[in-house]
Amino acid sequence: MAEKPRLKLPKEAKKGEIIEIKTLLPHIMESGQRKDKDGKPIPRKIINKFVCEFNGKAVFVASLEPAIAANPYMQFHATVEESGTFKFSWTDDDGVIITAEETITVT
Amino acid sequence: MKRGRTLARRAVVSLIGATALFVATGQGAKAQVAKKEPPLEVKGDASERPWKRYAGWPARDESKYNTLGNLATPPAPTQPRKITKPITGNAEKGAGLAADRDRGGSCLACHVMGPAGGANLPGNVAPDLSEIGSAGREDEWLFNYIYDARVYNPETVMPPWGSHGFFSDQEINDMVAFLKTLKSKAVFKTELDDPEKRPPPVEKRENLDPIENPGMWAVDKAQELWTQKSATAFSCNTCHNDPKASFKTWAASMPKWEPRLDKVLGVEEFITRHAKATTGADWLMETDENRAMSVYLHYLANDTPIHIDTSSPPAKAAIERGKELSQRKVGQLNMACTDCHGKSANHWIRGQWLAEPKGQYDHFPTWRTSLLAVWDIRQRFQWCQVNIRADELPPDAKEYGDLELYLASQNEGQKLSVPGIRH
Amino acid sequence: MRPLSRRAALALGAAGAALAFIGLGRRASAAAKEAADMIAKFTGGKTAEQGKISIELPEIAENGNTVPLSISVDGSMTSDNYVSEALVVADGNPNPGVATFQFSPLSGKAEASTRIRLATTQNIIVVARTSKGEFFTNQKLVKVTIGGCGG
Repeated sequence: MAEKPRLKLPKEAKKGEIIEIKTLLPHIMESGQRKDKDGKPIPRKIINKFVCEFNGKAVFVASLEPAIAANPYMQFHATVEESGTFKFSWTDDDGVIITAEETITVT
Repeated sequence: MKRGRTLARRAVVSLIGATALFVATGQGAKAQVAKKEPPLEVKGDASERPWKRYAGWPARDESKYNTLGNLATPPAPTQPRKITKPITGNAEKGAGLAADRDRGGSCLACHVMGPAGGANLPGNVAPDLSEIGSAGREDEWLFNYIYDARVYNPETVMPPWGSHGFFSDQEINDMVAFLKTLKSKAVFKTELDDPEKRPPPVEKRENLDPIENPGMWAVDKAQELWTQKSATAFSCNTCHNDPKASFKTWAASMPKWEPRLDKVLGVEEFITRHAKATTGADWLMETDENRAMSVYLHYLANDTPIHIDTSSPPAKAAIERGKELSQRKVGQLNMACTDCHGKSANHWIRGQWLAEPKGQYDHFPTWRTSLLAVWDIRQRFQWCQVNIRADELPPDAKEYGDLELYLASQNEGQKLSVPGIRH
Repeated sequence: MRPLSRRAALALGAAGAALAFIGLGRRASAAAKEAADMIAKFTGGKTAEQGKISIELPEIAENGNTVPLSISVDGSMTSDNYVSEALVVADGNPNPGVATFQFSPLSGKAEASTRIRLATTQNIIVVARTSKGEFFTNQKLVKVTIGGCGG
């Protein structure tokens, strides 16, 4: 079973309101600094990019380095003018992109 | 105890017996649950045999010294060693040795020692030695205090650095030479470095917030395991189809004396033996499944005050044994639980705060941020042991059961809040 | 450590200024130098003005594996003038780069929180850029605790 990304943001907001968004992704964020029991370096494998879009427009983007801790946590803000969908994307070094979505009603 | 046999070999026999307890419908199964004591697999061990230390843990063999299951430590000397000539040593080397964390934690774990280790976050379990050089102590006293302080104080917390083989005589001479240079108060780079001024840590994290605590993923995992059918076509859900209601207080009544096994059973061992005897699931202690289920069963009882049986004769005897075990000196560092969590509670051991037993049990199993893993209380016991250079016992050792019961009794009334989140 | 005057900082050049600001002077370690280089690349050689950024970090981190970090850049977030990017470096890590946050007027606030890894006690340095090409900077020292017995 793969653990699911956690998202926390309001389901509703007023037009022009600045909302807070929190995300947590299960991921080892292998830094490339660790060595296995035989002394060989464990290859780097991290989420190198996090993107939050709202109705297709970028709201917050983070380029991540191995210094970001495992299970990357991101907290940021967004100002909402209309109802729509937040889309979150996490890009792994291996090219796989994990995504999640959440809708919001703006009145 | 038969070595090498795991519960798996008993699966068929116990499953036939367990299945006989069940009636065809879920209703009947629930009725059985209400009436009978929980089925337990009583044969075999609840963790891997032979027990192998976890990967990545220090691989030292400490069989020369006491464990919680075995007495082996050589007796303490009764007399100090005679030092007839003034000690000469290399003070600079001694300063380095005092700060060397590879030799069992370094002196700075417990002592402020002037400039040693850059006065970087020293502890204050023991006296500040920054002015010991002008305290009028004889060389013989300084030497023997490091070599084996038990000759001056049989109840000392000070490890026997010489007689237990941490430092050679020459190295102790070097440290004595260094101590003799310490004649002025330590100068700290920041106030945080001074253990007398450092504010004790306060745990403020929202441990039950799934975004704050990765340990909460264990709850999700356990909920999936709950309905997962094993080869027997039963799952936990077959008999316990409303865990929220059924287990609202159960974990707060654990651990408990189990007469069928003649030992104290904690939640984790209960999970292993009960699952084996019912659904047939093979959830040995210290597997991911077992830890997830332990998190979940505690989580379901969150906010319930811990309230265990302390009055029945076997519980009383177990608590008495647990108390004695908490006072037993173990390992090459020759320390007892009470050395840190009794005598030295509310002090700094290097940069970490030593807490009293009360408040140190209610959040287990806990997420550990330094290790990115959920730990249950038995693994925590094992880690403490390995770090004071004592061999750990298997997680289902009866001694750990006694110790856990004693620890739980010291946490009477504390409300469960699981999974915790700690360093 | 006292921040340099603008004139003194300009005189030293961007990389040197960053180093001097960090307060390491001639004793700059390789990591600190690399951090300074990253900052110089980010600012294109321009000097970042001290201020406008608040950095939240524990005074003593309980371990180096996961340290909570919050940054907040003061400034308007309108389409004609907004905080567009914030670079975060750790001057004592083997690889000093931590993250680069990109904001837009849709962000509402130029704030971000995450958890970072620190190899040792060190400075976290944040440099922010606005859409008008201005640069601001601030830094904070965080001590990583030392374990008592390994526990």
